[in-house]
Amino acid sequence: MSRFKLSSILKRKRPDSTSTSQGLTDQEQIVYKVIHEKENMGMWLRDIKRRSNLQDAIVNKSIISLQAKNMIKEVVNVKNKGKKHYMAVEFEPSTELTGGAFYDDGILNVEFINIMKKICLQKIKQLKVATLESVLQQIKTSGAIKADLKEHHFEEILGALVLDNEVMEVKSNGMGEFGAIPEGKVCYKAFGKQRVGAAAEPGIGAMASMPCGVCPRIRSCTPDGVVSPSTCVYFQKWLEF
Amino acid sequence: MVSQHGILYAVHLITNQFGNLVAKVCECLLRNGALTLQAIVRRTELSPAKVRNCLLVLIQHNCVQAFILEESVSGEDAGEPGKALTLYIALFVNILHRVRFSKFMDVVSKELGGSCGELFRGLLEHGRLTVKQIVDRAGANAKESTNTVQEDLGKLVMAHYVECCPAPEPLVPPPDADTKKRAKSSKVMVEPLTLEQRVMAVAMPSVMRRFSFVPNADQVADDQQNVNQPPSKDVGEKRKLHDLESDTALEEEVECNWRANFEELLRRLRHKACVDTIKVRFDDAAATVLSAMLEASRAEEDKVKTANSVPLSLNTIYEEVVKNEKNHSMTFDHVRTCLEELSCPPTFVKTDDESYSIDFTKITEAAQSEEIESIVLKRFGETAYKIFRLLFRAGCLMETDKIADRIFVEKKETSKTLFKMWQDGYLLMEKLVVGGTATGPSYGGSSYLLWKVNKRLLRETVLDEMFHAALNLNLRLAHEIDQNKEVLNLPPDKREGPDKQKFDRLRNVRLLIHSSLMKLDEAIMLFHDF
Ligand code: SF4
Repeated sequence: MSRFKLSSILKRKRPDSTSTSQGLTDQEQIVYKVIHEKENMGMWLRDIKRRSNLQDAIVNKSIISLQAKNMIKEVVNVKNKGKKHYMAVEFEPSTELTGGAFYDDGILNVEFINIMKKICLQKIKQLKVATLESVLQQIKTSGAIKADLKEHHFEEILGALVLDNEVMEVKSNGMGEFGAIPEGKVCYKAFGKQRVGAAAEPGIGAMASMPCGVCPRIRSCTPDGVVSPSTCVYFQKWLEF
Repeated sequence: MVSQHGILYAVHLITNQFGNLVAKVCECLLRNGALTLQAIVRRTELSPAKVRNCLLVLIQHNCVQAFILEESVSGEDAGEPGKALTLYIALFVNILHRVRFSKFMDVVSKELGGSCGELFRGLLEHGRLTVKQIVDRAGANAKESTNTVQEDLGKLVMAHYVECCPAPEPLVPPPDADTKKRAKSSKVMVEPLTLEQRVMAVAMPSVMRRFSFVPNADQVADDQQNVNQPPSKDVGEKRKLHDLESDTALEEEVECNWRANFEELLRRLRHKACVDTIKVRFDDAAATVLSAMLEASRAEEDKVKTANSVPLSLNTIYEEVVKNEKNHSMTFDHVRTCLEELSCPPTFVKTDDESYSIDFTKITEAAQSEEIESIVLKRFGETAYKIFRLLFRAGCLMETDKIADRIFVEKKETSKTLFKMWQDGYLLMEKLVVGGTATGPSYGGSSYLLWKVNKRLLRETVLDEMFHAALNLNLRLAHEIDQNKEVLNLPPDKREGPDKQKFDRLRNVRLLIHSSLMKLDEAIMLFHDF
């Protein structure tokens, strides 16, 4: 409902009217309607205030009352934990709000994610060249993961392994080790001999192995300035023998 | 355009090797581009004689090139038509090469042996030399050793490690009108040549002349009899004589100065860097195959930054692989498998019709992003490393929430890291307001922050930081030496107790800084030259 319509309801009825069929005041009805409209997405308190066009104090009072009548509930939005969100009780929070399978009570379940990564990495190593489907297949047959996870969850985990530099993403060219995989299909491979054990830790580059290369103050460092190579504490530490 | 710290670093190198005056002139050219002698005099407030001497030193060491702009000779707007103005331009990259001499020496000595290496060292130390000067330097008076020196020089020229020097003051035409037109009509972006590139293009002798050296012991002997006459007069005399016979002969016989050909040496170092990258990403066998491909296509490469090697057949590659005794155990199939591996995306080797060619650009980019990734990891931490890899691969704008989801990190931490990286110039940020009024998101809209890695800008930022870091390492070394002057001046038998400790520490400091500088220079080459 648009803001215009909501305000016109207000204009037609007296603001302090108390008689409604559900035992809700006019203001409570407006607030409830606004929240209900958002279904399983829930609504941020500030947005409720803006959409209903009511005074802050009235909205706050209405929300307390609607909660007491068990018509709305407060929900956590993983993306904005500091912002209070409300939802009509009949809806279950969407995965966008809860964060989905990888969140527990609005908190990222790092332990679970790490276990998932470990299992997927193990399977890729076993398979040498893996596709999303072959990893899934392996995991299903081994029964390693009990949680109810969909294909896209595994795709996200494999994507994270690539970003961690644990595995590399390559496209099959249909030859050699990719013989059984159609050309152009995305595959995952663990690194060659040299990289095993060194994964997730890229080779230390030239810059990363000296203080200036990773220095947070490099932008303010000048030969004769307050921060300078001759007075630098990072150098002092690096050159301690 | 050379970055700020690039200039500071180059000036530092010149100061160290040629002193403050020469460095002042060099800095003036690096900061202002090509200038006439008078303009340098005005800006540096040095006497014309001093500036001229400094320029001669810089030219002798291939750090400056003189030239005449054709516009200044014939331009109608020119105040005095027909009056040619000589301009001087600093060759930034050649200044950087001065720290690579040991790497260049290594390449030459390994490939052509110690005596060629020794001769080559002379050229690096003196910048440019005539055959006679080369022979004199080798102390070769007897005709026999003269022959050996000339043979070595012949080998160096043949391998393109040594070249005939560019023309001293070439006439540089205005930018080619044709090139401009082509750049306009072509869909592919054609970068216009820089003034430095245009100058060097006309200054360099033709390939024939650049790499043709005919050993001639008699000529050197003749030259030795005329030691008292300036070389230019010698050349003049010879010219007159040959003039009577033929013009072509004259062109070939004019005595030229010889110098190290940095381009070829850089190409060799680029090859080495490519092989190293492949070795880390794949294995020794893949690196061997790549080496063989580089060797087989070497003769066809004519630029440092060649994007692709010429296509090679599997047979040619295999033949090249087994030329090396170490690789005799490699089978034809093994070579083919390596090539198949290398041709998987990211396609370091391109295949077409049973032929294979190396994609240098892809290999270089892979090595560059590895270097940047390692900086990001150490400087900003693991979350930043993941963010960087995500955005670098995506190549487009991405919203904070989406980034947090993809890397499995809480939004708050993701946001904090993104800001840190943005402040240091590693990311670009854009604010997007959706559904709000003109007065902003507070009137009903939402605002989103979008992030992106701009690869070109990032490479420039990182390169400038590399120059800064190299300068700092040099300054710190100078500071350490200055602080320990007294200990350094003590005779070895007087170095005891704390003095000995200080001395030993300084030795370690030197070793660490020198090795870091060498490594850093390899990274600078990766970003600046390859
Ligand atoms: S000298 Fe010290 S302060 Fe300056 S950039 Fe290097 S590490 Fe940072």
